[in-house]
Amino acid sequence: MAIVQMKKLRLMVVRSRKDELLRALARQGEVQIDTVREEDLLGDGAVLTREEADVMALKSRQLAVEQAISLLNRYAPVKTPMLAPKPELEKDVFLSENGLSEAEKAAETIREADSRIKRIGAEESRQRSLIETMTPWRELDLPLQCEGTQRAAVVLGSVSAKQSMGDLQSALENACEEAELFSVSNDGAQQYLVLVCAKEALADAQEALRPFNFNPAAFSGVTGTAAENIAAAERQLKALAAEKESCVKAIEAQSTQRDNLKLAFDKLGTRIAIANADGKLAHTDSVAVMEGWLPAEAEDKLSRIFDKFDCAWETADPAEEEYPNVPVKLKNNKFTNSMNMVTNMYSLPSYGTIDANPWMAFFFILFYGLMMADMGYGLVMIAAAIVAMKKIKPKEGTLAFCQLLLYGGIATFLMGALTGGFFSDIPLQIARLINPDTTWQGLPALFSPVRDSNMLLYGSLVLGLIQLNVGMVASFLFKVKHGQTADAIWDIGSLWVILLGAILLALPMLGLVSSSVLKTVGIAVLAVGVAMLLFGAGRNSKGIFGKIGAAFGAIYNTVTGWFGDVLSYSRIMALMLAGSVIGQVFNTIAVMPLQKSVNPITIVAFLIIFVLGHAINFGLNVLGCFVHDLRLQCLEYFKQFFTDGGKPFTPLTVKPKYVTTKD
Amino acid sequence: MKELFDAFGGYAIGLLGAGLAALLACIGSAKGTGMTGQAAAGLVSEDPSKSGKAMVLQIIPGTQGLYGFVVWFIAFGKLSAGMSVAQGMQVLNACLPIALGGLLSAIAQGKVAVASINILAKKPDDWSKGMIFCIIVEFYAILCLLASFLMLNSIAI
Repeated sequence: MAIVQMKKLRLMVVRSRKDELLRALARQGEVQIDTVREEDLLGDGAVLTREEADVMALKSRQLAVEQAISLLNRYAPVKTPMLAPKPELEKDVFLSENGLSEAEKAAETIREADSRIKRIGAEESRQRSLIETMTPWRELDLPLQCEGTQRAAVVLGSVSAKQSMGDLQSALENACEEAELFSVSNDGAQQYLVLVCAKEALADAQEALRPFNFNPAAFSGVTGTAAENIAAAERQLKALAAEKESCVKAIEAQSTQRDNLKLAFDKLGTRIAIANADGKLAHTDSVAVMEGWLPAEAEDKLSRIFDKFDCAWETADPAEEEYPNVPVKLKNNKFTNSMNMVTNMYSLPSYGTIDANPWMAFFFILFYGLMMADMGYGLVMIAAAIVAMKKIKPKEGTLAFCQLLLYGGIATFLMGALTGGFFSDIPLQIARLINPDTTWQGLPALFSPVRDSNMLLYGSLVLGLIQLNVGMVASFLFKVKHGQTADAIWDIGSLWVILLGAILLALPMLGLVSSSVLKTVGIAVLAVGVAMLLFGAGRNSKGIFGKIGAAFGAIYNTVTGWFGDVLSYSRIMALMLAGSVIGQVFNTIAVMPLQKSVNPITIVAFLIIFVLGHAINFGLNVLGCFVHDLRLQCLEYFKQFFTDGGKPFTPLTVKPKYVTTKD
Repeated sequence: MKELFDAFGGYAIGLLGAGLAALLACIGSAKGTGMTGQAAAGLVSEDPSKSGKAMVLQIIPGTQGLYGFVVWFIAFGKLSAGMSVAQGMQVLNACLPIALGGLLSAIAQGKVAVASINILAKKPDDWSKGMIFCIIVEFYAILCLLASFLMLNSIAI
């Protein structure tokens, strides 16, 4: 329920026991290790070195295992159920080396097989293109390397299929006598020809064919006829396919190693974390020096570990000027834990300030319920949250999300009961369908978003006023507790006096009470408040002009800031109304077919429109209400008391990706 | 002028308003989802596993069309053949916020959604933040919807 108190740790350990200590700390998971700054340490005489940890090597090994896992999933996929909890394993498993080399060997086998498959693919496409270029010459029983006899020249080539054979031949006859053109094949686009002529007439013959775009074909390095080459390539393709098959089989055979590979990934991940921590230490010849942070409440437990490894160590409370560097860990109960969703999205509070979660949880969930306000949607959210919690057994971030969904769902249901919304107004629509003359007005409602929208608008603004004041109370208490009572009275107390004056003035104006005394008292109180604000704003400024400037600044900020902040809460009413109206329209459309006649087809049509329409509306609202609730908390509410910029506490720990840990 | 309007009658003017609400808001949504869809298709051609998330981003600028349709539906319910020119004008005016607000906000939101597809491509873990950027634009479409709705509700026919 608060920001956990941290202690600064300085520790020295004999180098030979350092690795063991780091593993023990990772197992405990409660020490954040920071980089030791050499200038903070003993300086004279002692030579400090860093140990070059093999982080890069470990990372490339981890990457190899990760690639193997994704290859295995591609070639031998397994179906995993959507909502399955991650298996649980003891932390010690990740700190041991057992089975690591076996898994890495399997990973190597998989990766090799995959790169062979890739090479085979390249070779296959080479063979296929060879077959393609040979196919037109299949009928030619002349070896392709043949360039002629002693006296005769042979040239293979192609011309466009549009050219007529007769034209070619007559052109050739005119140019030289001892030449002949044979057709081999025609694939519709090109006709493939063999030119045979006397060697000395070759140049003339080619010149004669040039106007027809005769294109000589070159088969360098090819021997044998085209048909022989095609047959050889086909044999080769068959062999390649068989080889590919065997490679795939080899990968599939490794699927028994899948869990082992995942484990190896997490083991390497743990080793990387430890190696990273190691790189932050400073070393002399015989000892390693460590600096870091630990939660004060864990000191007892950790001291036993430190003593076991014969460490020399001390802890100290952080000094005020160190606060910006102190890591922040929040301690939450079941209810406020859900707010981590919100604080993690915005920012952690900085150390030594107020943890917003307990101050925010009630409002966040209340506002969420007001914005959604529908019993049907609430039930859907509650059901989804319970199913997810039972099935996935979530932890940390996912758990916070599920809790938020659950509490938000409960609030949505309760507020829905107040506004009489159950999938908007479907009970009423169906009742009217059954009996068009019904006088029933729908589920009982304390207020209805459509009819009482003015009242809801004022109600939203009042809620905003209340929340902003609660934020100021939080800030007031914090300041008083930390000896800044004067600040609390001048900065916050003066605003309360102004507010009190405004309320006293407003009561007669709204006609709630009629008393001229109240009005006078109200004006007086208001004047005192403004005076307090002006004096308070100027109290730290020097010179009369500085004081006046600060006072005007305060008035301006107070007036514009408060108006803007309070008006912003009108979004509560806006979202409540929008969700309800869109739902109503979908309901009206859905019952239209049923109004004509009730038969199986119209019932199906009703169900489709109803489910689809509400799915859209629900999805929009779940997200939209969260974002707008978040904005009200982080912008309007946090402004009153929250100091952001806390650095998260990141202890050295075992944090596997594929499984969860247990102690 | 009066003769011109009288010649049309209130019903036609009301139809124009209801039609504009649906028409303009749907044009906006078509543009918004269209440009997001193009960006999403580019991303999915590189990484098909992101198609689900890309589709969520694509749907977001589609809601203005839905709001326009909701207003069309309510406005259409208010129209009747014999209504006066004044009443028709009232419906037309009440439809304008969602017609214009829906058109422009959907295009603006589409641009944010396209940029969020970039987040999804480069920093997949942070894609939900892109979604939040989109939803912030959404609020102004919701306000337009409410303005049109409350005005329509106040018209007595």
